[in-house]
Amino acid sequence: MKKRGIGFASIFYGTGYGNGFPDISNAIAELGKDGMVTIYAGATEVGQGAKTILSQIAAEVLGVSEKEINLICEDTSITPDAGTAAASRQTYNTGNAIKIAAENLKEEMIAIAIEKLGLNSSVGLAVKDGSIFLKIYPEKGISFKEIASLVEEKRLRRAGNFTAQTTRMDEDTGQGAPYWPYTFSAYGVEVEVDILTGTVEVLRSVCAQDTGRTINPKLVEGQIDGGFAMGLGYAIYEDLNIQEGKIKNNRLTNYLIPTALDMPEVKKILIEDPESTGPYGAKGIGEPVTIAAAPAILNAIYNAIGIRMKEIPVTPEKLIKALRKKEMEA
Amino acid sequence: MEIKEVFQTKEIKKTLEILEYYQHQCKIIAGGTDLIIQLREGKEKPIALVDISNIEELKEVKETAEWIEIGSAVTFTQIIGISYLQNKLAALVEAAASVGSPQIRNAATIGGNICNASPAADCIPPLLALDAIVVLQRKNIIREMHLEDFITDKGKAALEADELLTKIKFKKLQINQGLGFSKLGFRKALAISKISTAVYIDREQNNRCKEIRIANGALGRCGLREKKVEEYLLEKTLDKTTIHQGGIKLKEEIEKRLHGRSTVAFKKEAVIGVFQKAFKKALECCDTEGSI
Repeated sequence: MKKRGIGFASIFYGTGYGNGFPDISNAIAELGKDGMVTIYAGATEVGQGAKTILSQIAAEVLGVSEKEINLICEDTSITPDAGTAAASRQTYNTGNAIKIAAENLKEEMIAIAIEKLGLNSSVGLAVKDGSIFLKIYPEKGISFKEIASLVEEKRLRRAGNFTAQTTRMDEDTGQGAPYWPYTFSAYGVEVEVDILTGTVEVLRSVCAQDTGRTINPKLVEGQIDGGFAMGLGYAIYEDLNIQEGKIKNNRLTNYLIPTALDMPEVKKILIEDPESTGPYGAKGIGEPVTIAAAPAILNAIYNAIGIRMKEIPVTPEKLIKALRKKEMEA
Repeated sequence: MEIKEVFQTKEIKKTLEILEYYQHQCKIIAGGTDLIIQLREGKEKPIALVDISNIEELKEVKETAEWIEIGSAVTFTQIIGISYLQNKLAALVEAAASVGSPQIRNAATIGGNICNASPAADCIPPLLALDAIVVLQRKNIIREMHLEDFITDKGKAALEADELLTKIKFKKLQINQGLGFSKLGFRKALAISKISTAVYIDREQNNRCKEIRIANGALGRCGLREKKVEEYLLEKTLDKTTIHQGGIKLKEEIEKRLHGRSTVAFKKEAVIGVFQKAFKKALECCDTEGSI
């Protein structure tokens, strides 16, 4: 016999290292002799899409397509430190550092353009598609390549760095501003509980995700699918089964993670309320998309069978035990 | 000790010669989804392997007037795709489809599933419920035995060192005969059975149980028949009360058998749900037109 239930959970999560720890990202923007822009930042791409999003930010500043940005993040001998790919901080922190570096480079390129074009000021100048020109008289312009040729050094390079602002919490009162910014997220799920076998199936799910500003919708949606899958594993599958200090489920045949067949469709709602300190208003979403999934599932189980499960994962064994206990009490 | 020879044969005769020569030092490999892991873990240490996955004769499924015969090297993917099994033997197809993942089903064979004799083998309960017969061949001798007698213990089958399991056969189902299967895994794919149950029912016109065979996987040292529950249900009217009582009886059996194991508290309860599903499917199957 199966019973259905619906559950919700919402969270807010402080991104970055926090608690007054200096959270620094460094980046370099460079104009090569060929007129192409290269960004150097030691931000690890671990499949989350950092390279894409960081390229998009630089491209937006310099008025070119993100495909024309050469982003180097893997080689620590030539990239400045941009901190860890952790704490959901790369879009916000390194995004800001790259935005600043690209803006510094652009400022320098505009100064060279003003001099070469014999203009009085930067008013009315556009930076677009690899050249700098006067909007009211587009023939008056200069390409990135020409600008590069006017520079004596091999490359025109400008640095940018960003340090997030947090304060230490007061140890006695707990007061302070330990994180900034905060990202908000909510999940709604519907589950079906088989009360004879203790299995739980998540039938559908919806995620409302605050992004500040969505730099790349497809990547955010991908993060939500991945985050929900991890939350689902956390809630009902992933069991280390530690007995006398030993991990019994020490291989993927018995340490279960959800398969594609176990994943429900996740409807996504992206909520944009630009964060004033974020690059183009963006905030980190990496961890936030996972956090509310498990509590939403446990709330839905409660809604379905009236039992508050207080330990995860909610395996069929635990659920059957709880159901029988409830029957005995009734 | 390490593997010195690997043979790939295209005919049964050649395979039997190799088996006769090497005896216990040779292992038969078909899909290899179990054997390769056992070799890697050092649980099996043959000096020779003989690969039977290219023997056409072993890869055939035949339908005769009375029987279905499945070659031992038939893969689960093959079984899932056979159109004449989809109605009356949907339970067998369901069991085959519940094995591992598409990649595993493409390689793994029904013969391997049987000879490996894992307690959780997905195809063994439906074949036990069908009272399937295994056909075993050695040089100049062919013998048949009931699957139930063939599987003797966890990981053990009554296969002689020079013998090859060539096919599995069972009688086609008629109207008023039905097979049902249900598996409890903890996720929808790549899930090792926690419980799998198959039920065969032969129903009389007056809705009484003329014959019943119940087989379970992962509830003992190997796939096995639940004879006490079968006896209990014989001649009973096939209704909700009977299903319920059958479940309770099965629970008692499991509780006795798994006494002292950490899984008993869960399995004795969950088996009721799995049994009920298989039983209901078997009854529905009784209504499906025969003869397959």
